[in-house]
Order: sequence, then C-alpha cells, then structure tokens
Amino acid sequence: MAEYTFRIFRYDPDKDETGRIQEYRFEPEPGWTVLDALNYIKWNLDGSLTYRRACRHGICGSCGMTINGKNGLACETQLKDLGTTVVTIEPLRGFPVIKDLVVDMEPFYDKLYAIKPYLITKTPPPTDKERLQSPEDRKKLDGKYECILCGCCTSSCPTYWADKNFLGPNALLKAARFLFDSRDEGFEDRVNAVDDKHGVWRCHTIFNCVEACPKELNPTQAIVDLRKLMLRGRL
Amino acid sequence: MLEKPPVIKSYRWHLGSIAWILHRITGLLLVFYLLLHIWVIHHITSGPEGFNKVMSVVQKPIFLLLEIGLLGTVLYHAFNGVRIMIVEFADNAAGAHKAIFGAVMAIAIFLFLVGGVPMFMHFLHAVSH
Ligand code: SF4
Ligand code: SF4
Ligand code: FES
Repeated sequence: MAEYTFRIFRYDPDKDETGRIQEYRFEPEPGWTVLDALNYIKWNLDGSLTYRRACRHGICGSCGMTINGKNGLACETQLKDLGTTVVTIEPLRGFPVIKDLVVDMEPFYDKLYAIKPYLITKTPPPTDKERLQSPEDRKKLDGKYECILCGCCTSSCPTYWADKNFLGPNALLKAARFLFDSRDEGFEDRVNAVDDKHGVWRCHTIFNCVEACPKELNPTQAIVDLRKLMLRGRL
Repeated sequence: MLEKPPVIKSYRWHLGSIAWILHRITGLLLVFYLLLHIWVIHHITSGPEGFNKVMSVVQKPIFLLLEIGLLGTVLYHAFNGVRIMIVEFADNAAGAHKAIFGAVMAIAIFLFLVGGVPMFMHFLHAVSH
C-alpha cells in the first residue's frame, strides 16, 4: 500500500489549552481499517494516543469517530474505501472532549435515560408463560432495536449541534423501539419527553443521522413515525 | 474537558443536508421578497402617479432577470417542501428521500423551463429596446 498521512486530533487536558493536529506517516498493511492504523500508531509510534475501542467488529459501539468529515466506526472503516491517503480523524463532534479521540458520552446517555429505554408494563404478566408477541408485531421493531449506541448519529446532527437539549436521533430511535413494541405500556411515561420542542419536533429532516449510522438504521423514519403517533395521541 | 473543541474538517455534505440548507436560504429569500413586494404594493396608496413610478423601476431589465431567479426560488422551496411532506406523512418514505428529491426536482425544473424561457425572452426583448 502507499504511504498514508494520518492527521489526528490531539488534546491532553494536562498540557493543552485546546485541540491540535498531529500527523503520522507510514505505510499501512492491505486490508487495514482505521482502527488498525490507530492501533499501529499507539503500539509503535506514540503510546500516548488515546481512543476507545473494544470489540473491533462493529458491535460494542466504542470506536465512533469523525473520519474525513463523516462519522463512522473506526473498526468498520476500511482505509482503501476512503479514496484518499490523507486521513483526518477527529473525536465525535457535539460532545466535550476528555482526551484525544475520547469524548464525554454522558450528555448522550442523559438523553437516552430521558425516554426510559426499557419495557414498561402496567398489566401483570401471564402466570403460565412470558409476555408473547406475534411475529408481525416483532417485525415492526426491525430497524429500531439494532442500535449499538455508538453516538455517530446524534453527533452528526446539525440540530443537536445547535440545541444541546435536543434528544437527538439516537434517543428518539430508542423511544420508537419501545413505543412501537406491542408489549409496551409506557406511552404516558415517555410522551412528555418525546412530544416536546426539544423532542421529535426539533428534527429538521436533514438526514445526517441516516448517512452516519454504521448499522444502516434510519432514525429519521423513527422520528417521523413518532410525530404521527404524537399527533394521533393529541387528536 | 474541552467543551468546544476546534473543528479540523467541516462535516461532509450530502443530498439531505444540501437540500435542507437550500430550503433555508430560499425561505429567507422569499421572506425578503415578500417585504419588498409589500413595500412596492403599498405605493398604491399614493395614487396612480406614485404607483406607476415605482412600477417603472421594478420593470427594468435587471428586475426581469431577478424575477426568473424568484421563480426558481419559489419552485425549489415549494417542491422540496412537497418532498418533506411526503417524508413526513407517507409510510416508510424516509429511506427513499433521495429518489423523492429527484422526482420533485424533475417537476420543478420542467416548470422552471416552462416559465423561465418566456420570461427570459421578455428580458431580451426589453434590453433590445
Ligand atoms: S434527520 Fe433529524 S435527527 Fe437526523 S440528523 Fe437531521 S435533524 Fe438530526
Ligand atoms: S442509531 Fe446508529 S449511529 Fe445512532 S447510536 Fe445507534 S448504531 Fe450508532
Ligand atoms: S471497536 Fe467495537 S464497534 Fe468498533
């Protein structure tokens, strides 16, 4: 492979006033992902480089970052697919930076907790079996449950950049995952957060979230579906 | 913790975000046009003389060109608006928003040509006299 230039956002809270760019040049092996390149840097060139990763196959959601101006998982982004040998890597924008590529995800989780991301039931369960769901009802959750909480969507959302109280595509997708679950009885518990000017009504259908999601989910569809649900709830 | 980290590379544009920013820009242009329009029309209260004077200004060739731009602005804003309404109200349309954009813009471009070509002829006629 050709020599690559990695331009990486660096910030050390003990030393730096603000972020800076550090460049690393080397020839990656064929088949490497962005995460392989980061590991190479950390293990061979500069042990101080800090980033999150765990599973390295797109399931833990740790390695979300901005690669050449677009959010994605470092472990699922092949270097050869970038179409350039200059790779700019930044922490997920919209969140405070703790160190280098590590951002504070607390604001992201706060939005998730606000929509109560768990099955809420009021009626007691059947005594002889679990709460059953028909295959048709189960199918309604396809495209809603697969989220790995990587933060790529909310961090790509211009509306979230402008309004840090906006629940964001992730929390709204999760809200849809439960509100459209045939077993769930938590509409009343979630409606105040979702049917709010910082909830579904804030989204401007820009579709950055859809472009960013590494699981190819469609938070915008979930948001417009929730809007229709909220309208029906009001009528 | 760094609350406002500097951005190295601006976020990548794609059809959805470009359509959105153009919608905002054309929306602002239409507000501006509406104010101008009300300003022009209010001269009717100053009688035929005053009104004709303002009208002769806004019928200058440059305004004939700007009107073609106005037609484009209205058509873009209206038809992207149709796209957004389809995404909002049709079932499972958000995944197809790019194809919907292509379809509504094809209609918008057709109408732009239907309206814009005669307007341009009118402009050429005005400058040659
Ligand atoms: S479609 Fe809505 S939620 Fe998704 S990026 Fe745009 S404004 Fe944010
Ligand atoms: S919806 Fe997609 S981009 Fe957003 S957190 Fe879940 S997996 Fe990540
Ligand atoms: S390391 Fe787990 S998703 Fe990339």
